[in-house]
Amino acid sequence: MERDIILEWWYPQGPEEVWECLTNAEILGEWFMKNDFKPVVGHKFQFRSKPIPVFNWDGIVYGTVLEIVPLKKIVYRWQGGAAPGKVHLDTTVTWILKEKDNGTQLRLEHSGFKGMKNLFARLIMEKGWKKLGTKRLVKTLEKLSNGQI
Amino acid sequence: MDRYNYDPFHAIADPGRRNILMMLTKEKLSINAIADNFDISRPAVSKHIKILYEAGFIAISEEGRERYCELSPKGFEEVKEWIVFFEQFWKQKMLNLEKLLIKRSNKKPKK
Repeated sequence: MERDIILEWWYPQGPEEVWECLTNAEILGEWFMKNDFKPVVGHKFQFRSKPIPVFNWDGIVYGTVLEIVPLKKIVYRWQGGAAPGKVHLDTTVTWILKEKDNGTQLRLEHSGFKGMKNLFARLIMEKGWKKLGTKRLVKTLEKLSNGQI
Repeated sequence: MDRYNYDPFHAIADPGRRNILMMLTKEKLSINAIADNFDISRPAVSKHIKILYEAGFIAISEEGRERYCELSPKGFEEVKEWIVFFEQFWKQKMLNLEKLLIKRSNKKPKK
């Protein structure tokens, strides 16, 4: 299996409440990004945020709903790039909700970074590129969190 | 298509191109030497190399009549930055959701 970004978070609210925040376009706009999302398989939508030029990203995510299991699972395609029609990223986002300890365990999977992590591991081993861009990266992230970009 | 196409994700989404990069982790190779390792045609190999070059994964130099390819860190940095960016991005969003859920449950009358 491809190595992906996986995050798990527990919320004290029940799955109905979390589901509402993940699928209601207006509420999604409050914590995630402005959008025209609908929990309907096949629905095409956009998430819109500030462009991030350093990442060559115009701030628009093009999504297509792939799977909906009410109160349990949401899967959508997540594409984006420097301009409309220019796809840098073609990935998949999966949300999984589970009732746990009187709250909700929410799992996020962002997959489709095809084979990249393996390549990195190999490069670090073979070429000794241990510092592969880390300095520049930390600086960029600092700037991002300070709102300078 | 001569348009400059800086697209690292597309470049390494292809298993053939990933193979080329893997081959280059060991040593610098001429385009002919790379082509000898593949069943596909020489023009197809050249096209892969062009895509990898434009996305910043390899550098090309000329030595005599041969053109040599070696790995360049630029493309890899770009891809790594995206991954780290998204890791941060999702963490931030999960925290936002936590705050919003608290705000929403405070608004509701307690039973």
